[in-house]
Amino acid sequence: MSIDLTQAALKFTPFHNRTSRACRTNSWYRWSGYTVVAEYSTTELEYTATRNGTSVMDLTPMYKYEIKGERAKEFINYFVTRDLSEMKDNTVAYVIWCNEAGKVVDDGTVFCLNQNEFKLCCAVKMQTWLKDSAEGFDLEINDVTDEIAALSVQGPTSCSVLKNYGATDLELLKPFESKNFTIDGYGVLISRTGFTGDLGYELWTNPDNAEKMWDSLMESGKHLKIRPMGMHALEMVRIEAGFIQTSTDFVSTEHALRPIRMRSPYEIGMGWLVHLNKKDYFIGKRALRYEKENGTTERVLVGLDIEGDKPAHGAVIYNKKKEDVGIVTAALWSPTLKRNIAIASLMRPYGTKIKEDIFVEIYHPEELEYKKIWATCKIVKRQFYSPERRNLVPAEVY
Amino acid sequence: MTKVYDVIIIGGGHNALVCANVLAKKNKKVLICEARDTCGGLLTNSLSNFTPDFSSKVKSEIDNISVNHTAVTSIALSETGHHLKLTGNFSEDKETLEQLAPEDVDRYFKLQKKLSLFSKTLGSFMHSSPPRILHKNFSDYFKLFKLALNVRIMGRNNFNEFARMIGLNIADELEDNFKNTLLQGLISHDAITGSNLGPRSPGSLINLLFRMANHSNSLFGGIQQVKGGVNAVIKSLEDNVIKRGVEIKTSSSVKRCIIENDHVKGVELENGTLIHADTVISSADPKSTYFCLLGTEHLDTDFKRRIKHYRAKGRVAKLQLTLKKVPEFTNLELAELSQRLVISPSIDYIEENFNYSKFENLSPEPILELSVPSIEDDSLCKNGMHIMNIQIQYAPFNVKGGWETKKTECIDNVLTTLEKYAPDIRSCIAEQELISPNDIEKNFNVTGGHWHHGEIQIDQLFMLRPIPGAAQYKTPVTGLYMCGAGTHPGGGMTGIPGKNAAHEVLKNI
Repeated sequence: MSIDLTQAALKFTPFHNRTSRACRTNSWYRWSGYTVVAEYSTTELEYTATRNGTSVMDLTPMYKYEIKGERAKEFINYFVTRDLSEMKDNTVAYVIWCNEAGKVVDDGTVFCLNQNEFKLCCAVKMQTWLKDSAEGFDLEINDVTDEIAALSVQGPTSCSVLKNYGATDLELLKPFESKNFTIDGYGVLISRTGFTGDLGYELWTNPDNAEKMWDSLMESGKHLKIRPMGMHALEMVRIEAGFIQTSTDFVSTEHALRPIRMRSPYEIGMGWLVHLNKKDYFIGKRALRYEKENGTTERVLVGLDIEGDKPAHGAVIYNKKKEDVGIVTAALWSPTLKRNIAIASLMRPYGTKIKEDIFVEIYHPEELEYKKIWATCKIVKRQFYSPERRNLVPAEVY
Repeated sequence: MTKVYDVIIIGGGHNALVCANVLAKKNKKVLICEARDTCGGLLTNSLSNFTPDFSSKVKSEIDNISVNHTAVTSIALSETGHHLKLTGNFSEDKETLEQLAPEDVDRYFKLQKKLSLFSKTLGSFMHSSPPRILHKNFSDYFKLFKLALNVRIMGRNNFNEFARMIGLNIADELEDNFKNTLLQGLISHDAITGSNLGPRSPGSLINLLFRMANHSNSLFGGIQQVKGGVNAVIKSLEDNVIKRGVEIKTSSSVKRCIIENDHVKGVELENGTLIHADTVISSADPKSTYFCLLGTEHLDTDFKRRIKHYRAKGRVAKLQLTLKKVPEFTNLELAELSQRLVISPSIDYIEENFNYSKFENLSPEPILELSVPSIEDDSLCKNGMHIMNIQIQYAPFNVKGGWETKKTECIDNVLTTLEKYAPDIRSCIAEQELISPNDIEKNFNVTGGHWHHGEIQIDQLFMLRPIPGAAQYKTPVTGLYMCGAGTHPGGGMTGIPGKNAAHEVLKNI
């Protein structure tokens, strides 16, 4: 099958020749101007690979920016709410950043390559926001999304797969650390990061090495239950892990049309990333301090444990079956946990002070008819699934 | 570091001096750090010919200013020699207009009355800090209510007319009213002077109203000359604050503000000296204040965007000629040369000039406002010779080719234009010095070299000056204030921003 590239509205990732061959369903997903596989064969199998073996996912479309210059570290520390003044070389940090009103622009990961060079990975296009924020810092900021091919290799056997692939001593890498490897003569940066809540790694390399890398990985994992994973399965594992997704669990300030739809970090469970005692100023600090001191936070993002087995997609949440107090942003029947879980945004004090008498109104489709279910639910920690192996050092090797 | 000063004021322009005076009267220990070797900022004899007197509200709050003002006549020069001379005095102006523009007499006074009412209304907004919107604060609501009342109190017809005119261009209004092009040219000149607008640009009328509000609400009255030039005003302000115990450090350029934990703690001078104070007031323009003195690392992205987009590109240059002899102007007496002479014969003349300016070019026939002030005032002579100050309108900040190469061409254009009115001008010149907007930026530390520290336009006035969210003389950093022309109500020699800022500061210390 030949595809006329000039006619394609979406870009292909450097792995496209491999992913398209592995994709049996011809089911694609549109992601930041790229096309990536939604489902290779069946979502359940791909999900199971992540939880019981290793899954490989193409995450090239993730926006990537390099930030270089003498004041790069100072800038990063000013750009995000988290205190990164002590960030060391070859480490990674999960961060969020806000606008002047203290509303979340996006979340992502910062890679400290060295003290004058950082990389930012995120879901929303950020070039303009970065450039305008960096006014006065005299930095070089480049969008390198197309210049880096990235794969996510996740699951209990992922360390073993990567050791077979050539990443010597990888088990010693701690969570949120990264290391440069030379494998088959090409350079790969491997970071112990991921979006699955399990042991896992992310691989970053030049697009020229993409196909070689894919082939070696599949070969290395042949006996370790390796399987490419599509976007649908990713959605399952990230809900289990309790990770939030931009545009799903909150709307970026860059995308929100209505100011009231913008969310502060305290409203999306990211308060732990806001370091108001950071020595230096960071974007949104004044507004966030005001919010914290005056208790003006309106919403809260919680985990829900819902009775029954019908996933509560987009369901409305009620107090005492009467008052509308929030909405489910993501829901799933978790095959691993055997629980009906959801992430939900509630109006405070529901979810914080008032945790009783919360109901979810689920409309479950049953062959062209909707069955309305009033399900009780418990408010629980959002991190539903977090196995011990996730943070073990040395990592488990099989 | 021991605390000696309550307040440090960065810059020693007239607003800074007025601010210092108000603070010192309340027994605050004030230090003024001025980068140049003299105070005054843009208010100096080489840049300013004329000045309005301080309003009574400013005068009542500062010590007595001992200078002699004399009223100045505005003379619109005509190539035919039929110059139009207006003083702001009703009977004199009526007589003049009856001779030169008989059809326009009634309408002139009608327009003057209307504009005067509107400028008074605008002026009533000027003397307190503008209200914040959406802040759910009673005093803000009360101020907004008072403003609305002030506008509404003019009556239904005037209210409608005010609403119509607030965004209007000056050319439409003048062409509707007047036949005499010289009169149209003169009023248009005053509407666009100092701005980046042409007479047909929307909003040029509010520029005129703003000017009138600072000139006794009159079109041509209120323009004055001071014995000793504007330097005398500065000298007097300076003497007063020194008497009040204010310290002035000249040649002390401030490198940056010291910020700790979002609070200002003092300033660091270029020479490394640290001076402590819990309150710092910057009289510098908004861009210098935020980008150079404060530093962008203390500001939010959205805020930086707004400051960056604040429009502040100067379009006025100054030419000072030292004269071997006084040139002869067709149909003008010697004494009249010390008055305000304007070469801006019609609306079209200005608009054509504006076209050159729009594309960053020099006009071959620029708009000029000139005077030989030394005729009235010997003290202004230079080496025993008379001087002629010429203000050149539309001298674009980013002129194509750069000012270094364009200065000669600019001077030549001015002289060629002047020759039409004073044929012997070239033979009279001993020395010439051109100050371009870029020179103003460099020598006076004003970003963009803009007279008013930024355009006087509806989107940069009142609660939007310099930008929404920081229009109450406050900055986002606690203890750091602004008091320059970039704050409400804006530029011009009024001292109002300085006075208002002082009150805002006094509320908090």
